[in-house]
Amino acid sequence: MSTARYIKNDRDQILDVILESGIHVKPVYTPKDLEEIGFLYEEDLNDPGKYPFTRGIHPLGYRSRAWTTRQYTGFGTPKETNERFKFMISHGQTGLNVAFDLPTQMGYDSDDPMSEGEVGRVGMAVDTVRDFEIAFEGIELDKIGVGLTINAVASIILAMFQAVAEKYGYDSKSISATPQNDILKEMIGRGAWIFPVEHAIRLTGDIMEYSMKVMPKTNPVSVCGYHIRESGATPAQEIAYAFLIAFAYIDEVVKRGYEPDEFVGGITFNFNVFGNIWEQVAKFRAARKLWAKLLRERYNVKKDRNLFLRGIFGGGGYGLTKAQPENNIVRGAYYALVAALSGAQTTALCSYDEAYTIPTPHSALISLRTLQILMDEMGLRDTVDPLAGSYFIETLTKQMEEKIIEEMEKVERYGGIIKAVSDGYIQRMLARQAYEIERGIEKGELLKVGVNIHVEGEPKEVELHEYNEESARMQIESLKEIKRRRSQSDVKRALKDLEKATKDGKNVMPYLLDCCKVYCTLGEMTNVFRDIFGEFQEPSLF
Amino acid sequence: MAEKRIKVLVAKPGLDGHDRGAKVIALALKEAGMEVIYTGLHKTIDQIVNIAIQEDVDVIGLSIMSGAHIPLTRKLMEKLKELGIQDKKIFVGGVIPSKDIPKLKEMGVEGVFPGGTPIEEIISAIKASVKK
Amino acid sequence: MNPNDLAERIISGDEKAASRAISMIENGEETGFEVLSKLYPKTGTSFRIGVTGSPGAGKSTIIDRLAFCYGKKGKKIGVIAIDPTSIKTKGAFFGDRLRLKNAEKIEGIFIRSMAHRGFSGGISKAALGAECILEALGKEIIIVESVGVGQTELSISLISDVVITVLTPDFGDEIQLMKAGLLDIGDIIVMNKMDIPNAEEKAKDIIHYLESIKGEISVPLVKTIARQGQGVELLIDTLEQEREKKLKEEKENKEKIKTLVIALIKEEMEKGIEEMMEKNITFNDLLAQVISKKLDPYYMARLVVSNILKNGKLEETLG
Repeated sequence: MSTARYIKNDRDQILDVILESGIHVKPVYTPKDLEEIGFLYEEDLNDPGKYPFTRGIHPLGYRSRAWTTRQYTGFGTPKETNERFKFMISHGQTGLNVAFDLPTQMGYDSDDPMSEGEVGRVGMAVDTVRDFEIAFEGIELDKIGVGLTINAVASIILAMFQAVAEKYGYDSKSISATPQNDILKEMIGRGAWIFPVEHAIRLTGDIMEYSMKVMPKTNPVSVCGYHIRESGATPAQEIAYAFLIAFAYIDEVVKRGYEPDEFVGGITFNFNVFGNIWEQVAKFRAARKLWAKLLRERYNVKKDRNLFLRGIFGGGGYGLTKAQPENNIVRGAYYALVAALSGAQTTALCSYDEAYTIPTPHSALISLRTLQILMDEMGLRDTVDPLAGSYFIETLTKQMEEKIIEEMEKVERYGGIIKAVSDGYIQRMLARQAYEIERGIEKGELLKVGVNIHVEGEPKEVELHEYNEESARMQIESLKEIKRRRSQSDVKRALKDLEKATKDGKNVMPYLLDCCKVYCTLGEMTNVFRDIFGEFQEPSLF
Repeated sequence: MAEKRIKVLVAKPGLDGHDRGAKVIALALKEAGMEVIYTGLHKTIDQIVNIAIQEDVDVIGLSIMSGAHIPLTRKLMEKLKELGIQDKKIFVGGVIPSKDIPKLKEMGVEGVFPGGTPIEEIISAIKASVKK
Repeated sequence: MNPNDLAERIISGDEKAASRAISMIENGEETGFEVLSKLYPKTGTSFRIGVTGSPGAGKSTIIDRLAFCYGKKGKKIGVIAIDPTSIKTKGAFFGDRLRLKNAEKIEGIFIRSMAHRGFSGGISKAALGAECILEALGKEIIIVESVGVGQTELSISLISDVVITVLTPDFGDEIQLMKAGLLDIGDIIVMNKMDIPNAEEKAKDIIHYLESIKGEISVPLVKTIARQGQGVELLIDTLEQEREKKLKEEKENKEKIKTLVIALIKEEMEKGIEEMMEKNITFNDLLAQVISKKLDPYYMARLVVSNILKNGKLEETLG
C-alpha cells in the first residue's frame, strides 16, 4: 500500500510527494541539499560502529554476522508448537519468537470461561511450566535467543522460562530471552492489557531489575513501535512514542536507585518496515542516531554499547492485503529489503496469509526463504549502510530526526507519555489517523494494488491454518491432570508468598519463579495481581 | 416528529485486543450520522447483550480478529434468542475467511464484512438493514 | 405497541420495555409520550443527581464511583449519560459506558447513553422522560451527566434534585473556567484529582477566583480522588444533606417546574415555527427584503411574531 500522498496533474505526472511524517520530497537532490541541512559526516553519520551509530552499531555490519531471523511462531498445544519450532530451526531460522494464545496473553487458564473458543488459536496455550517443558524440549536455550511475545503477564512467562531453563540444566546467566514486556504500547494499540498503568509499569521495572541481576543476557523489554504504527501512527510517531515509552521504563528503574549504564543496554525495540521505502530507511537511520544521542543527553549513558539501538525490524502487517494474496510475498520481499538497507540486526516478516489467519508452515517458510535470499543471493551482506552519502537519503534522515523530535515534544507538552496513554490522547489521535488512511484508500488517494488499483474479480482463497478444537480439549485435559498431581500445599504457600511480596512492594520475580516451580497456573498467579492491582481503565475514544 | 437516528453498538467480544478496525468503523458510522456506542475491549457476550438492551440499539456490530468469530457469534445469537430480542441486526467484521461467511449468515447474521470491505459498503448495508 | 402495556411492563421491571420507551421519546414518537403521561404521576421519589463540569474533569469517574458506592448500599441505580451530537453530521459517539467500569458491576444498574441531538442546554430533551421511565423501572438513584458546555434555560438543574459541578485543581486559567460554563456552580463543588502535585494550593486559587466573580461561595466543597474512590463516601453524605435541604425549598421547586415547562414550550414552538416558516411565502418574501436590505431583521422578526400571536399562524398577506 502506498503511504505517501501524491499530487499529480491530469497527465499522471507527479507534482509533489508528501511522506506520512509530513516531509515533502523534491524531484532531485544535489550537494546543495546537504549544504542546506548542514550535513557533517562525523556528527551526522560517522563510521559504522561509531557514535552516533547512524550507519549501524557494528563496524562491519552483515559482513561479521547476517541478521537473526525470528519468525513469529506458535499455535495450539505446546507439543504442536515445539514441532513447529524445530521445523523452522531445521530450515535455518536462527532465533525463536513465541506466539501465545489470547487467554495466555490475558492471564486466563485454558479452562477459564473467558478462554472459551480461544485456547491455542492465535498462539500456543500456556497454563503451567509443564507447557514450557514440552515447548522447549530439545531446543538449545543457551544458543537460540527466544522472543516471548507477552506483555501484561510478561513477569510470569519470563519466570516460567527461567524455571524451564533451569530444569533443563541451563545456567540462568546463559539464556537469552526477549520478553516483549511493553505494556504501554498494549494500551495504545494491541489491547492485551490487564493492570492499571502504574502497577503494570512496576511489573516492567521488576523484570528489568531482576534480569539485570539474574539473567544478564536477557533483554527484558522490547519496546514496540511496531504496534503503534499498526494502529495508525506515522513513522515519526512510531519512533517518538517508542522512545518516550522506553524512557518511562528507564525512569522506573532509575527510581529504584540504578545507574542507566547498568541496564539500558537490555532495552531493545520492535519496529515496523511497512511504508514508503525511503522514509523507512531514513526512519531507522535517524532512530539509531537519536536513541544514542538522547541516552547520552538525558541519562548520561557513557558506555558505547549501551547506546546501541538494537531490535527487530520487520513485519509489515498493515501493508498486506487480502485481495490477491500472493502479492504479499512480493511485498514481503520489499519489506525485507527495507530491513536490510536499514541494518536490522534481527528480522521477521508477516506471512502472506496473515490477512486471513496465522501462518501455515508453508507460508512461514516462504517468509524465511525471502529473508535468506536477500542475504545469500542478492549481496546485502557486501557492505555496511550502502545508501549512506546519498543526497536524498541523508537529507531525509536529518528531516526524519527533526520530525521525531517534534512528535516527542508534542507528547511531552501534553504532560508526558504516561498521561497521554492513560487519558487516551495518543489513542484518539491514532484512531483519527487510521480513519483518514481508510478514507484515503477509498478515495484512491492511497494506492493498494489489488484493492483500489489493478483489481481482479473475486478474491481467491488460500490454504489456511485450521484451528484444531481437539488441541483445546487436550490442553484443558492436561491442565486438569497437572492440577491433580501437583502439591496443593506448595501451591497455596507459593501463591501466599507472592501475594505478600506484591503487597509489600518487593520485586515479584523470585516469588513468581517459586510459584512456577511448584506448577501454579498462569491464571492463579495473574489473579493474585488482579486482586491487588485492579484493572486498567480503558480511555474513551472521543 | 424528531428524526429517527440509527443507533449502533460496535462491540469487541472476547479477548482479542486489535481494535484499529473497530475504532475506524465507529468513527465512520458517527460521521455517517449514526449514534455509536463502542464497548471497549474484552467484553463478554452477556455484557454486550446487556448494553444492547439498555441502549436500545438497532444494530450490533461484532469486530473479531482472533479467528473465534464462529463460537462468539453463535453465543451472541443464542443469547438474543433467549432474551427475545432478535430484532437487532447483527453484523460481523474482522479476519473472516470466505468459507465462514455462509455459516455466519445461517446463524442469522445480517452481513459479514471481512477485512478490506469498503466503509461505504458497510454504511449502506447498515442503513438498508434498519429500513427493512 | 400499546402504551398501557408498555407502561405496565416498565413498572414490572422490564428493561427492554423501558429502553424502548426511552427511544420513543428520543424519536418524538407519540406512544412514548403517552407512556410518559401514565408514568409521570407515579414518580417523584427517586433522587436525581445532576453532574456537570468540563470535559476531562473526571465527571464519568465520579459517576462511576457514586454509582458503585450507592449500589453497594443496596440502592437501585440508573445512569443517563449525555454526549454531544455532531452539528455537521448529526452523528454521535457515546464514550461514557467505557468509563463506568465499576458501576457496570453493580447488580441491576441501568446505563443509557443519549445524544443531545442539538437541544440547547447541554442535556437531551428526552432526559427528563428517561428519568421518569427509569424511576418507574424501580431506580432509586438516577444520575444524569450533562455534556457540560453551554448554559441556557433548560439546564441540568431543572431535571435534577441536586447538581454537582466537577472541577480539578489543574483547571488552570480563568478562560478555561469560563469555557466550562461555570457561571452556575451547582449545589456542590467537587474538586477532583486531588492527587496531582500542589493540588491543595491550586484548588485554593480556583476557589478564590470563583469567589472573586461570584462573591462568597456558600455551597459545600468536597475533595476527591475519584480514580481511587477517595472522598466519594463524603460526597454521598453531602449529597444526602443537600437533598434534605432542597426538599424544604418549596417555592424554588415550583419555580423550577415552571422554568422547565416554559423551556419545553419554547422548544416545541421553535420546532413548530421552523416547520411553519420553511415554505411560507410571506416569510420568504420578507426574508428577501431583509437580504436586500429593504427591511431590517428586527422589524421582520417583530412583525412575524405579532402576526403569529394574533392569528395562530403566519398569514399569506400581511397588513
